[in-house]
Amino acid sequence: MKTMYTILGLMFFLALSSCENFLDVNENPNNPQDAPISGLMTNATYETSLNVQAIGSISSHYVQYLASPNPAGASDIMDASNYSGLWFDLFNVMTDLTDLMQKAEEEEASHYLGAGQILMALNLGMTVDVFGDVPYSEGFDFSSVTPVYDVDRALYSEVFNLLDQGLQNLTGETAVSLDNDDFIFNGDVSAWIKFANMLKARFMLHTKGTDAYNAQEILATIDNGMMSNEDDATVVFFEQRFNPWAQDAIDNENLLLGGWISTQFIEALDGTSYTTMDPRLSLMIGATDDGEYIGVTNGAGRGNAPEQGARSTLIPGQYYTSEQSPLLIATYAEQKFIEAEVALESDPERAYAAYLEGITAHMDMLEVSGDDKMAYLNNPEVSMGATSLTVADIMKEKWVALFLHPETWNDARRFDYGYKDMTLPENLNGNLNGQYIRRLAYPDNEVSRNGSNVPDVTLLDRIWWNE
Amino acid sequence: MKKNFTYCLLTLLLLQFNGALIAQQSTVNGKVTSAEDQEGLPGVSIVAEGTGTGTVTDLDGNFSLNVSGSNTVLVFSYIGFATQSVTVGNQQTLNVLMQPEAKGLDEFIVTAFGISQEKKSLGYAAQNIDAEAITKTKQPNIVNSLQGQAAGVQVTNSGGAPGQSARIIIRGINSLDPGANNQPLFVVDGVPVDNSTIESTGTPRGLSNRMADLNPNDVASISVLKGAAATALYGVRAANGAVIVTTKKGKAGEVRVNYNGSVGFETLNQLPKLQDKYGQGFSGEYQPTSFWPSWGAPISEVQQTVADHKYEDNWNRVFNTGIQLDNNLSISGGNEKATFYGSFGNLQQEGIIPFSSWNRTTAKLSGSVKVSEKFNFSGSVNYSNSGGNRVPHDRFMERMMYWSETTDVRDYINEDGTMRTYSNTNPIYDARFATYEDDVNRVIGNINFNYMPTEWLAFSYRLGNDFYSDQRTEITPGPKGIDGEVPLSSTGYLEENRINSRDLTSNFYITLKKQFSPDLNTSLRLGNDIFERKYDRVTARGENFVIPDFYNLNAASQIFASQYKTVRRLVGFYGDLMVDYKNYLFLNITGRNDITSTLPKNNNSFFYSSFNLGYAFSENIQLPSWVTFGKLRASWAQVGKDTEPHILGSTYVSPSIFPLNGEVGFTRNSVYGDPLLKPEQTNSIEFGLQTAFFNNRANFDVTYYKSNAKDQIIPVPVSDATGYSSYITNAGEIQNSGFEFILGGSPIENSDFSWNITANLSINNNEIKAIKEGIDEIVVGTQYGYSGSTVTMKLLEGEAYGNIFGSSYQRLGTDPDNLFLDPSLPIIIGANGFPVRTGTQLILGNAVPKWIGGIRNDFTYKDFELSFLIDFRTGLEQYNQYANFLSAFGKNEFTEAREDFRVFEGVLADGSTNTKEVWLGQGTGPDGEEYGAGYWRNYYRTTSENFVSDASFIKLRNITIGYNLNPDLLERTPFRTARVSIAANNIILYTPWDGFDPESFSAGAGGNAIGLTGLGYPGVQSFFFNLNLGL
Repeated sequence: MKTMYTILGLMFFLALSSCENFLDVNENPNNPQDAPISGLMTNATYETSLNVQAIGSISSHYVQYLASPNPAGASDIMDASNYSGLWFDLFNVMTDLTDLMQKAEEEEASHYLGAGQILMALNLGMTVDVFGDVPYSEGFDFSSVTPVYDVDRALYSEVFNLLDQGLQNLTGETAVSLDNDDFIFNGDVSAWIKFANMLKARFMLHTKGTDAYNAQEILATIDNGMMSNEDDATVVFFEQRFNPWAQDAIDNENLLLGGWISTQFIEALDGTSYTTMDPRLSLMIGATDDGEYIGVTNGAGRGNAPEQGARSTLIPGQYYTSEQSPLLIATYAEQKFIEAEVALESDPERAYAAYLEGITAHMDMLEVSGDDKMAYLNNPEVSMGATSLTVADIMKEKWVALFLHPETWNDARRFDYGYKDMTLPENLNGNLNGQYIRRLAYPDNEVSRNGSNVPDVTLLDRIWWNE
Repeated sequence: MKKNFTYCLLTLLLLQFNGALIAQQSTVNGKVTSAEDQEGLPGVSIVAEGTGTGTVTDLDGNFSLNVSGSNTVLVFSYIGFATQSVTVGNQQTLNVLMQPEAKGLDEFIVTAFGISQEKKSLGYAAQNIDAEAITKTKQPNIVNSLQGQAAGVQVTNSGGAPGQSARIIIRGINSLDPGANNQPLFVVDGVPVDNSTIESTGTPRGLSNRMADLNPNDVASISVLKGAAATALYGVRAANGAVIVTTKKGKAGEVRVNYNGSVGFETLNQLPKLQDKYGQGFSGEYQPTSFWPSWGAPISEVQQTVADHKYEDNWNRVFNTGIQLDNNLSISGGNEKATFYGSFGNLQQEGIIPFSSWNRTTAKLSGSVKVSEKFNFSGSVNYSNSGGNRVPHDRFMERMMYWSETTDVRDYINEDGTMRTYSNTNPIYDARFATYEDDVNRVIGNINFNYMPTEWLAFSYRLGNDFYSDQRTEITPGPKGIDGEVPLSSTGYLEENRINSRDLTSNFYITLKKQFSPDLNTSLRLGNDIFERKYDRVTARGENFVIPDFYNLNAASQIFASQYKTVRRLVGFYGDLMVDYKNYLFLNITGRNDITSTLPKNNNSFFYSSFNLGYAFSENIQLPSWVTFGKLRASWAQVGKDTEPHILGSTYVSPSIFPLNGEVGFTRNSVYGDPLLKPEQTNSIEFGLQTAFFNNRANFDVTYYKSNAKDQIIPVPVSDATGYSSYITNAGEIQNSGFEFILGGSPIENSDFSWNITANLSINNNEIKAIKEGIDEIVVGTQYGYSGSTVTMKLLEGEAYGNIFGSSYQRLGTDPDNLFLDPSLPIIIGANGFPVRTGTQLILGNAVPKWIGGIRNDFTYKDFELSFLIDFRTGLEQYNQYANFLSAFGKNEFTEAREDFRVFEGVLADGSTNTKEVWLGQGTGPDGEEYGAGYWRNYYRTTSENFVSDASFIKLRNITIGYNLNPDLLERTPFRTARVSIAANNIILYTPWDGFDPESFSAGAGGNAIGLTGLGYPGVQSFFFNLNLGL
C-alpha cells in the first residue's frame, strides 16, 4: 500500500504545484496576436478591389448597366436594401489599414504607410460616396462601442489629407519596400504615386458645383497622374479565386441567375439611342442564342423569357468576365474623362483630346481592332470636335468606359441621371416619389448596434457634394 | 508550501474522525437471501450501527462479522431492497430475508462522480431511467431514448436520417450566446464525455451527436441531474445539467450470455398535403423543359395530347423503406474477487432518403477486481466505430421542390452514368454521387482505484479518457466530359477532414465518514478534478480534378488547406459534506473552486457552493396510514461557468482564401474577447415535494425551480466601425423558472397481471432579463423565405427565448408599439383586392415549447407484456420553410385553388369591409385583369405569417408487445430466458402542423436556431421485430 500512497501523493502534488503552467495554454494557436505589414497589405489590396466590385454590383443596377431577371429586383427598383455585408467589408479593410499604417510608422516602412494611406483614402471616400456621414474619428480602435458619425464633408477633407500624406510618404525613403505582397502594383512605387494623383482628381471632381472645387488644381494633379493603360490600378484575379464578375457569369450559366444586361445599356451601344454601332458591345456582353443583343428593362424582369439564351448577360471569358480578369480600381481611361470634364470650360481642346484618348484607352483595353476603333472614332456623332463637345458626350463615353464600375453612380448623381433615354425603372420603390436614388440606406446591423448615432435619412437625401 | 498545507489539512481531518472504540468482540455468521427468488444476495452491505465496522456478503449471500456486544444493531442494505435493522442479541447465526422495495421509493440515484445516493436523502429533484426503459425505445441514439421519460427534459430529434443528432435541453435555455452549447454534460461511468455535433460546413447533412457512439444496450441506467444543486460538484461543464450514464457491469455468479437482435423498417411518418392536379410549366401552360415544376396546365388536359404525362406521386415514391439491423451479444460473470462484462454490438441502418446510411460497431469490456476488503479496482473500455453516408438532405428536399411533378424522379441516371433530367438537377442523382462519409473511431475508457484503509476513510481515484478521430470525405463530382451532360458541379471537389479530439479527466477524492451519535451521521468528501481537451481539425480541399471520377488530392489542380486546434484545461477542488439526522433530515453542502485556462489569469479561479436540505416528514411525524412517504426538499445553488478556449483579446486571422500567388494575407479578427472577462454565474433555487401513498401504489412529485444565469459570456454584436463586429464580454441575464410534476403508480399488481404507470409534465417560463446597454437584440438564427418572408429568431430584453420575427399582413388598428402580431385584428385588403403585406418584423411565434410531458405504461399479463410511451409538446410555433417553398412552386394542396375567384376577408384601409373579388391564378384572369404570377407567388409566399404555425404534437414514441417464453418450455433448451417482441416507434398521433414531422429542424443538435425547420430530413416512423435470448 505504500506504493499506492506514493502514487496518490504524487498526483496530488503534481496537480497543485504545476497548476499555473498547466493552465497557461490559452494563447490562440490558430490566429496570431500580431500580423506582418506585408500580410496586411496583401489582404488590404485584395479586399479593396472586392469592395470596388461590391459597390459596382449594386450601382450597376442604378446606372442601368445591369438589370435583374426577376421583376422588381431590389437594386433595379432602388429599394432600401440591407447592405450590412458591404458595410462590414468597407470597415474591415479600413480597420486593417489603420493597423497597417500604425505598424508601418513604427517600422519606418514609409512606402507601406503611404500606400496604406492611399488605400484608406479610397475606401473612406467610397464609403462616404454611398453612405454619407459615417463613423471614422472614433472608429477602428474600440475606443467607443458606439462610435459617433462624422460629417461627410469633413471626411472628404480627411480623404484629401490621407492622399497628400500618402504621396509624401511614397516619395521618401523606406525601411521596408513593397513587393509582390502588393496585389495592385507589385511594389511599383511610381505607379502608386500616379494612382494617388488620379484618385485625388476623382474625389476633387465630385466637389464640382461646390465651393471646394478647383479646376486648375485638378488639372495640375492629373499631370502627375496615370500616363497610359499600363498605369491602371487593378488586381488581377487568381486560379484559386475567380474574378467575381466571371463568377457571376459562371453562376448564371449554372442557372443561379445574375449579370443580366439592362436594355438601357444595349440600346446605347447597338445604334438605338445613338446612330453609332459601338464595336465594344460584343466584347463586353454576351448575345442571345440567335446572336442578338436584347436587354431587360430595369424593374420589369425577364417576363416570359426563359432562363437562358434569350437575353444578353455577362458571359464567361470576356474582358470583364474571364476567370483571371483584373478587377479595375482606377483606370487611365477614367482619368482622361475626368480631365475632359474638368478642362471643358477652360480648355476645350485639352478636353476634347482627353475625351478621345479616354475612348481610345478603353478600346485598347478591350483590344478592339484598329479598323473598328477608327470607324467608331471617325463617326461624327463621336468626334464632334472640340467646340461641340458637351458634358453629356463625356458622360456617355465615360459611362461606357466605366462599365460595372461604381464611379459611374457618382457621375450619374452629379449628372442627375441625365443619360440619353434613361428612364426610371419599372416598379420603382414607392418611397422615392418618382425620383432616382441618391444614397444607400444605413445597414440593419448598424441600426441595431449603433442606433442612437445613425443619422435619420431617406434614400433621397444627398451626399454633401451632390446637394 | 502548498503540499505542506494539504498534508496538515489531511492530518487534522484524520484526527477528527479517529474516534472509533474498540470493545468486546464476538462473531456473527449468516446468509442474506432475497424474498423474491430465495437466492443468496451477494454484495449486501452490513454495518454495525454506531460503530465503524461492517462487511458485505459474498457471492452466495454469506457473511461473517465481528460484533462488539449483544446490543449491536446490524443494518442490512442493498440497492433495490428495503433496508433492515436486526439486533444481534445472543444469536450467532443470522439469516436475513430482504424484501424488494416498491418502485419509485428509496431508489438510488447515481449523482456526481458516479456516487450512488439514496434518492430519499437528496435535496433536489433527480430522475432515474433504467436499462429496460432505455432499450425498449429501440432508439439507436441514447439521447433519443430519453424522449418523454423525464420531467423538464426536452429531447428533439433533429431529423430522420440514420444516425442523425438529437438535442437535449434541461429546464430551458440558459445562454444568450447564439453559439452556446445549451445541452447538459454527459458522464459515462464517472467520466465526462464529448457529446458535440460537428455539422458539415456546406449544405446540412444531419451528422451525429457524439453520444450516438455509445451502444444503448450497454447502459444499465441513466440518471438526469437537472438543476445547479445536483450538478454543482461537476463544476463549469455541467452548468446546463448532467446526464449520468452507468454502463452494465458483471455480477458475481454464473457466466451469463445474452443476445438480442432486431430488424426494423422505417417509413415517412407524415407528408405535407399536396396538389396533384397541375403539372410542369408556368402561367397555366405546359412546358416540358420548364424550370417550373407545377404552375403548368391541368395534368388531365395535357394527357389528351401527351400520352405519358401524369402525376408521378414523386413525394411518396422518392423515399425508400429504411432498414435497421441491430445485433448485440454480451457476456458477463465473475466471482467474489472479480467480475467482468463484455459486449459486441453492430447496428446497420439505411434511411428513407436513398443512399443515406449509418453503421455502428461497438465493443465493450469492463471488469472489477477486489484485491482485499480494503482495496479494489475496476476499469472499462468502450470502443466504437461509426459513420455512414450523409446525404445532403436539405439540398435533396430543395431539389424535390424544383423537380417536375410530372416527371418520374426515380428515373435519374443514364447508361453512361450522367444525370437523366429535363434540365433541373435530380435529387436522387445528387444524393448518390455528392457523397459525404464520416468514419469515427472512438475509445472511452476509465480506470478506478478505491482504497479503504479503515471503515471511515476511503481514497478513490479515477482516470478517464475519451478519444476519437473523425475522418470525413466529401466528394462532389465534376463533369465526366460526356457531351450534353448536366454535371453536379462545374469543377468537382474533394474535401478531406481529419478531426482528432481527446479528453482526459483525472478525479481524486477522499471520503471521510463519522458518526457523531446514533442520530447524526456525516460524510465528507474532498477531491480534485482535472480536465483537458485537445482538439485538432485539418481540412484539405481539392478542386478541378484532372481525371474525371478519380478523386484523390494528388489529382486535383487546386488545393486548399486549413487547420484549427484548441486546448482547454481545468483544475477543480471540491468538498461535499452530507449530514443525516435521524434518517429524516438530510443536509448537503458542496463547494467547488475551479481554475480554468480559458479566462484571463487574474479572473480564472472562482468558487461556488450549494446547500440542499431534505426533510422526510413521514419518518418524523405521524401521518395517516395511507401516506407511505413524504419529503420536502429545498436547495440553493450556484454554479460558475467559463468560456471557450482562445477567445481573449485581439488577434489576426488569415482568411481561408490565402495563399494567393504565394502571399498570405491577414486581417484583424472581427471578434474581440474582453481581456477582463470573468466567469458566468448561475444561481438557482429549487423546492420540491415527494410523496408516496397506499403502500407505494401511487406516488407524486412536484418541483419548482428558478435559475438566473447572469454575467453571461456572450458575443455582443458591435458596430463594425469599432474595428470589431463582435465583443465577447460579460453581459445580460436569462431566467428560467418552472414546475415539474411526476405521477406514478402501480394501480394493479397481482400474480398474473400488473400495470405500472409513470407520467411527467413540465412547464418552463423563460425571460431575458437584460442584454447590454445600447444593444437591442441578439440574432440567434435566420432562415430564408421567398420574397421577404425570411424569418429571424431574435432575443429581446424582457421577452422569452425563441421568438420568431417575420413579415405579416397589415391589420387595422395595429398598435405600432406592439412587438407581437395581433391576429385578432382585421387584415387590410388593398385596392387591388389582395391582402396588404408589411415588412415590419413582428413576433409571429415562439419556438420553445411551453409544456412538455410524457406517459409511460407497462402492462404484464402472465408471460405477455405491453408497454407504450406517449410524449407531447405544446405551446410553440415554428417556421415551416417547406410550406414556403411548396407555395412558391404551387405544390401545396391549397394552391390547387388557382382558377378560383375569392373575396379576401378583411377591411379596406378606411375600415369598410372588402368586397372585391379577385382571381387566384397566373396571367390574365377570366375577368380580363392581369394577375401576373398569381396570388400564391405574389402575395401568399411573401408573408412569413403564413408559415409560422403551431408545431405541437402528441407522439406514440414507442409501443412494444412482448412475450417471454415460459421457463417450463425453456427447460429443454439451452436458454435461460427467451423473449420475442414487436415494437413501433415515433408515430404521430396528433399535430396541427401541415408538413413533414414538425420535430425535424435544420440546425442540428448543436445549433440553437430551433423552430426554423429548414428543409430538414423528414421524420420517420419505425417498426421492429426483436428477439432476446439469455444463456
